[in-house]
Amino acid sequence: MIRQGKGIACMWYGVGNTGLPNPAGAFVEVLSDASVNLMVGCADIGQGSTTVMAQIAAEELGVRYEDVNVTSADSAVTPEGGATSASRQTFISGNATKKACQMAKQTLAEVAAEVLQVSRERLKFENRQIYDMDNLECKLSYRELMGEMAKRGRLALGQGYYNPNTTMLDPDTMQGSPFEIYSYAATMVTVEVNTDTGRIELKEVISAHDVGRAINKRMVEAQIEGGCAMGQGFAILEKVIVENGKILNPQFSKYLIPTALDMPDIYPIVVESNAQAGPFGAKGVGEPALIPIIPAIVNAVEDAIGVHFYELPITPTDVIRELYHQQKLYEGIE
Amino acid sequence: MKKIMIRFTLNGEKYEREVFPNMRVLDFLRNEMGMRSVKEGCSEGECGACTVIYNGRAVTSCTMLAGQIDGGEIITLEGLSNKGELDVLQQSFMEEGAVQCGYCTPGMILSAKALLMHNPTPTHDEVRRAISGNLCRCTGYVKIVKAIEMASQKIAQE
Amino acid sequence: MEKKLSVVGKNVIKKDAFEKVTGKTVFSADLDMEDMLYGAVLRSTVPAAVIKNIDTSKARALEGVESVLTAKNIPGRNAVGIILKDEPILVEDKIRRIGDAIAIVAAKTEETAQEALSLIDVTYEEIEPIFTFDRAIQEDSPNIHGITNVLQTKHLRHGDVRAGFEKCDVIVEHTYKTSMLSHMFIEPEAGLATYENGMITIYSSTQNPHFDRGEVAAMMAFPQNKVRSVQMTTGGGFGGKLDISVQCHAALLAYNTKKPVKMVRKRTESAMVSSKRHPMTIHARTGATKEGKLMAMEVTMRGDTGAYASYGPAVITRAMVHCTGPYVIPNVSIDATFVYTNNPMAGAFRGFGVPQVALVHEGQIEALAKELSMDSVALRLINLQHPGAETSTGQKLGSDVGLETCISQVLSKRKELDGKEGD
Repeated sequence: MIRQGKGIACMWYGVGNTGLPNPAGAFVEVLSDASVNLMVGCADIGQGSTTVMAQIAAEELGVRYEDVNVTSADSAVTPEGGATSASRQTFISGNATKKACQMAKQTLAEVAAEVLQVSRERLKFENRQIYDMDNLECKLSYRELMGEMAKRGRLALGQGYYNPNTTMLDPDTMQGSPFEIYSYAATMVTVEVNTDTGRIELKEVISAHDVGRAINKRMVEAQIEGGCAMGQGFAILEKVIVENGKILNPQFSKYLIPTALDMPDIYPIVVESNAQAGPFGAKGVGEPALIPIIPAIVNAVEDAIGVHFYELPITPTDVIRELYHQQKLYEGIE
Repeated sequence: MKKIMIRFTLNGEKYEREVFPNMRVLDFLRNEMGMRSVKEGCSEGECGACTVIYNGRAVTSCTMLAGQIDGGEIITLEGLSNKGELDVLQQSFMEEGAVQCGYCTPGMILSAKALLMHNPTPTHDEVRRAISGNLCRCTGYVKIVKAIEMASQKIAQE
Repeated sequence: MEKKLSVVGKNVIKKDAFEKVTGKTVFSADLDMEDMLYGAVLRSTVPAAVIKNIDTSKARALEGVESVLTAKNIPGRNAVGIILKDEPILVEDKIRRIGDAIAIVAAKTEETAQEALSLIDVTYEEIEPIFTFDRAIQEDSPNIHGITNVLQTKHLRHGDVRAGFEKCDVIVEHTYKTSMLSHMFIEPEAGLATYENGMITIYSSTQNPHFDRGEVAAMMAFPQNKVRSVQMTTGGGFGGKLDISVQCHAALLAYNTKKPVKMVRKRTESAMVSSKRHPMTIHARTGATKEGKLMAMEVTMRGDTGAYASYGPAVITRAMVHCTGPYVIPNVSIDATFVYTNNPMAGAFRGFGVPQVALVHEGQIEALAKELSMDSVALRLINLQHPGAETSTGQKLGSDVGLETCISQVLSKRKELDGKEGD
């Protein structure tokens, strides 16, 4: 028999790490043709940090995404990036990138203010133009500005680093501020449990994540979807079997991960709470994407068959065993 | 062991090569033919990273021997855009954001290509089944499936 | 006034997408250089032993072998580790897990390198291995490192947990267990190192090239600016490519041979040696008033970090700090102990212990809801963190707490889908 169940779960996740110094840096140069070289330590492992940094730099400098070339994660060229872990890079390297661009922009603004005869505070950098926000006719193209920079022998260079504002936790009580900001999420899943085979099938996932601000919404969704797959593995599929210190299943034929056929319909929802400390309000989503689906599956299985599992993964054997106990209890044998 | 002569077509070009017949097709393509888009992920035919199209079917090249491809036709990812234009699948993988780390991408695109070669208008489940031998740890497959469906729609419109 | 954004928020095409869909992206295993050698690692097949002798003479004599190195060939520090430097690059005396690196080889072909490994004779004396938490903390158990097998014990204290429980009308108590998990990124670790003009360059699949630079420099006793670490396109990580993998071994072989050395792990080597998710056992007691207000939570956590600390200490802290979930609980007490064993090394894995504790806070909420005969969403909403609320570390939250919106959006999406299904 197929029994359906629904479960919900929430999570929070600190971004900008654990009461320890945690910096990352960026270098930027705006070239004479208004193209931009950005050098960040941040290692892109496929999640898309290089794209995120380019979007942040383009936004801050007022150029196009295509204008920004990113060199990342080369210790001879780029400053310290720290680890690509702990969902920290959008927040920390993103802030570093923004600060580097602000420094370059300061020089650019000095020259633009001189040329346009307006105060620096009134200048706006947008869409490859620099203009007086009170008089949109008073403007320079980026190329014109770079020409003026060249005449004066000025270079548009910037460097920036960001270290989150945290405090060391008290060694006895762990009181303090371990993270600068927190990401949040709520996830609801629908499962079907086959009471004959013990198989749990994930049918639907709705997952809403407060990411502060989505620098690139499609990439945020992609993190949520990938997290749902990995979380499904965590909840009902994956386990390293160790016997006498030896891993018995170090290969894909024995350590199963979800395939395309295991995937439910996923509805990612992006919530933007605008984190004051984040670059353009962004927090982080890499790990939050994984977390809430795991307890949500456990709760949905409970909704379906009335058993809360306290040990993961929940295998078909576990389901059959628990249903058997339930039946025995019902019959009054146990 | 003695080398044998094999004749095969790779990405539309005909070749003759002397090979040890027990060399894996994966190694042959990567090391002898320079097809570096063919990736090794598991060495046991489970992950699909080394997928190529062999005589119109998606196969894992780590579980095939060079001797087996004599007289056959192979397509690797390099062959999809060798006329300077992206295949509709490559275009839709980019546009749908179906690529993260990229290690499964060559095999994934080729499994999709083999599907669309035989069945240009697959159902959602046919798409999922066609790539079920290609493991991806990043994306949850959602945008990959979408990209393949988008490519199929584009082909239908042409 | 909020600034209008023109690039941030746009679904631009990723910078690396074109190269990846055309197969032009170069991963570490795709690198080739003139005169390049292939590196391989001899690894321990026993979990706990003391090495008595390593005889590499037969391996050295094999044609095509250019270098066979052991611990005594390391010029600088023979230890790596993200937080604690407790893992030898090559074992000098003590084997602490299956997979510990004992010797490395560089040869002209992969096959020769593998053959050379089989010609190395290691004599060792096995010692009692420790595989369980309980054995690890016993007084008479052998110490895996230093003078104790306890990696860390930490305590979190917030409010008065005893007084908190006294105000509770219902208390639930459960033990949660999670398994060791493997990252299984699709690209196994790989890298290539060169030594030219006094400079070591490492190209590798990594999540932290700057950390790798520091570890290689310390191993070589080089200034850090004489080591260049370049991240190649990396085929997934999820925390499993934060530890040193091939970087130190390839660098040491390149330094000794003056030739480029490439090292590519096979899947089984990757899965045996890379860090794993910490298996954890968490016992939790949580209490609430009959109105559903959470008053107290008491937790003990046990974790096994295996043979080396890796990111273990960070996992402990994160797990503890997040243990309440996104709920306000005024009285919290958490005790956590992680131990060393001779099991595979556990380290960073997407979430650093938070997925494990999420099972606990969400399981406890469901259990309390049942006891209180309340809807579990309603119970969550009563206790939800909100702007200005205080966490269990005493931190005051800012204005950016979007959880309530997340819950309401999920519920309205559910309604929308149910509506459609009902049509």
